[in-house]
Amino acid sequence: MIKKAIVKIVSLISILIVLSFFVFALLYLAPGDPAEKRLTSQGVAVTKEVLDAERERLGLLKPFLVRYGEWLVRVIRGDFGVSFKDDMPVAPKLYAGLKNTTILAMTSLLLSLAISFWLSILSAIRKNGIADNIIRLFSFIGNSLPNFLISVLLMYFLCIKIKLFPVIAKGNVQGLFMPVMSLSIPMTCRFIRQMRTEFLTQMKADYVVGMWGRGVKGRYIVINILRNSIGHIFTIIALQIGTLMGGSVVIETIFRWPGIGKLVMDSITARDYPVIMGFVIIMGTIYVVINQLSDILSHCMDPRTNL
Amino acid sequence: MKKKVLSILLTAAIALSAVGCGGTGNTNTESSNESAESTETTGDQSDAETGSEGADHAEADSQDAATEESAASDGTKILKTAASFAYPSLDVHKEYYGWYTSIYGVSEALFKMNENMEAAPCLAKDATVDGSVWTITLNDGVAFSNGTPLTAEMVVKNLQRVAEVNERFAYLADFEMSAVDDKTIIIDTKEVYPTLRNELASPELGMVDLDATTDFDNDPICTGPFVISSFQPEGDVEVAKNENYWGGDVKLDGAVFYYMQEDDPKLLAMQSGEIDCYNSVSSAALAVYEQEPENYNVVSIPGARLQFYILNENTLDDAVRQAINLTVDKDKIAEYLSGTVSPAVGPFSTSAEYGKVTVPAVDTDKAKEVLEADGYTLGSDGIYEKDGQKLSINIKYYAARALDTLALLIQEQLKAVGIDSVLGVEEDPDSTYIANSDFDLALYCMIADKSGDPLYFIESTLKDGSYYDCGGFDDAHCEELIDQLKFETDTTKRAELANEIVQIAIDDNAFGYVGLFNNTTVLRPGVSGFAEDIPFDFYGIDAETDIK
Repeated sequence: MIKKAIVKIVSLISILIVLSFFVFALLYLAPGDPAEKRLTSQGVAVTKEVLDAERERLGLLKPFLVRYGEWLVRVIRGDFGVSFKDDMPVAPKLYAGLKNTTILAMTSLLLSLAISFWLSILSAIRKNGIADNIIRLFSFIGNSLPNFLISVLLMYFLCIKIKLFPVIAKGNVQGLFMPVMSLSIPMTCRFIRQMRTEFLTQMKADYVVGMWGRGVKGRYIVINILRNSIGHIFTIIALQIGTLMGGSVVIETIFRWPGIGKLVMDSITARDYPVIMGFVIIMGTIYVVINQLSDILSHCMDPRTNL
Repeated sequence: MKKKVLSILLTAAIALSAVGCGGTGNTNTESSNESAESTETTGDQSDAETGSEGADHAEADSQDAATEESAASDGTKILKTAASFAYPSLDVHKEYYGWYTSIYGVSEALFKMNENMEAAPCLAKDATVDGSVWTITLNDGVAFSNGTPLTAEMVVKNLQRVAEVNERFAYLADFEMSAVDDKTIIIDTKEVYPTLRNELASPELGMVDLDATTDFDNDPICTGPFVISSFQPEGDVEVAKNENYWGGDVKLDGAVFYYMQEDDPKLLAMQSGEIDCYNSVSSAALAVYEQEPENYNVVSIPGARLQFYILNENTLDDAVRQAINLTVDKDKIAEYLSGTVSPAVGPFSTSAEYGKVTVPAVDTDKAKEVLEADGYTLGSDGIYEKDGQKLSINIKYYAARALDTLALLIQEQLKAVGIDSVLGVEEDPDSTYIANSDFDLALYCMIADKSGDPLYFIESTLKDGSYYDCGGFDDAHCEELIDQLKFETDTTKRAELANEIVQIAIDDNAFGYVGLFNNTTVLRPGVSGFAEDIPFDFYGIDAETDIK
């Protein structure tokens, strides 16, 4: 067990080193440099001398491998460095963004699961019935609507028409409602379709047909179907968590929710390498850990995976 | 049985909600139109207007309520506005943070740019020059918000700090600065430096009480009519009246700056009455506001941000460049961009003394004649060709500041006269087509006038070897004039020189100055003094800002 854990940790570190090297290389190759972005951020031109001095100060004139090595050594020591954009420490920025994104992502995920789980069961059991058709229609519509449209429509109806919420929300529970709804509506609809498909696949399986044939009560059959579907559902959820933790730039920008998605998008625009690299390391770790947890949970919940 | 009842109830509930949605179908459609339009930076105004019809008379109540709320029942006047940018620090001297402390009414510089693009007295009452020596005299009674008087010595310390912490102002370290007495500063620039007065109006050179300030990032002590009462890094900012303001009464009791990047929420917040004013209004929002002049006061003036293109003299011959400039119709472009841009003549506002240049009128027939005189013949596909080669140019642009729309419009206009073009978009122009000059026509947008003087833009784009002189423009006489401009101290002569220099570039068809972005501000009736008549981006509230 300990050996397995060590292997997993070593593989995680290897993944992160390779990932960070590739991202660092891509950023190095991409056109644009942080000094120029920083100095001209308000559209004011600067002279070459000023630009070169800033490049020198930020250490951009050093060779690629030296820069990568310095960054790696700092990260190993637990220092993500300072932002090229504003000289502020990277770690608190990432921490604040990640915290806000986690709150938004987890609330949206739980809400989506709470709704989609039951509706997908109902939809699968009542396949081609009225309930199924209505649920499928709504899930199709919800799936097709882009986030920004849902956000603006929600704002228009809830803030302008029925004045239930302010447009300018604070970072509290009230302020969380509309961004959560904007994220949850398409996610719920996607979950319903994915879970319904999984339940229907199970319902056609031989063991279910056999149970029906033996006259087993419906509720026991449903329990068995759920038990056997849970592995796939965990995978769907795990993948969704990874996506959600990357943040939603549109939702965060429209609802003024200072999450990691907006932070990273702004950092990419500003070529703020330390923040981007910090994000890559954190997200890489989250992805790998969640996938590992999902595997472990699948093993625990579904004995077939251990065969 | 229970299951059947449950399923019937559930179906009924869903059906009812569907009916409920259907009942609001009309409104839904209207809002969809509006949303779609609001997300576009440019677009057909008539469409926008159609969409805006649904956007509502229902807001009238909330607007009345909002005005009352801003001038609250207890008599306090708190202005609420939206800011498109937010920074992690309030350190006046670093980066561009001073622009925002100036917008918040917290910091002030020695001089302040006015609506005529002149550096008017502010903390300093005068600046005189004798050769390379400037004498600056402070205004009477200037004090920080903590009551400490601003001294000449503190001014010198401030300027020295800016030189240390802001690379763009590092040149200040080369000057010899000293305080003669409490109110007089001597700055020896070593060589003649005519633009110092204008430079001293830069918001980054705002004065901070360096001795008393302990937290430059969150609570700088400055001289402005407002003081920071709440600062959320990269978020909202609240200011309160500076009770010790040296300049007299401050009309507002405070202000709140909500950080809102997106146009749609700003429009909705204005409609719901949650904000009283904001600037940088998008064309889609402008169309909505213009529908309801009784509820919104829109002020639009040409700003200092210029859309222009560079013509590559190394790849395009004189005739093609001339034909392009005779074809690109700035008025039509400005009309299409529906109020966000004013057609430019030169790089500077025509109201400035240094903005008096002339450009040939759009004449597509003459453009064709010029091409034909140069040996081009019109092909069967409507595109000119010469020596078997089609006339096709390479247009480079980046998708910001409406340059993407501009590229398409220019492409269409050129095609109409027989010049084909290929569009190429880059995410970062400075390190791609500007650095490599791999274009025939390059679109760019920058602040052309940052301090009421033409030298900065001329040196950045027309001087041989400058970063934006990437199209091969090189004129010996122009270089001589730029050298003269650099040291000319007489304002009238500076304007004459600037006009002559820019005219050379125009006559050489080296550039095309397309449009000056309008500074567009929307205010609720009764709100005034939000720098709506000043063409610079770095001013906002001041002592005169008021809500009636």
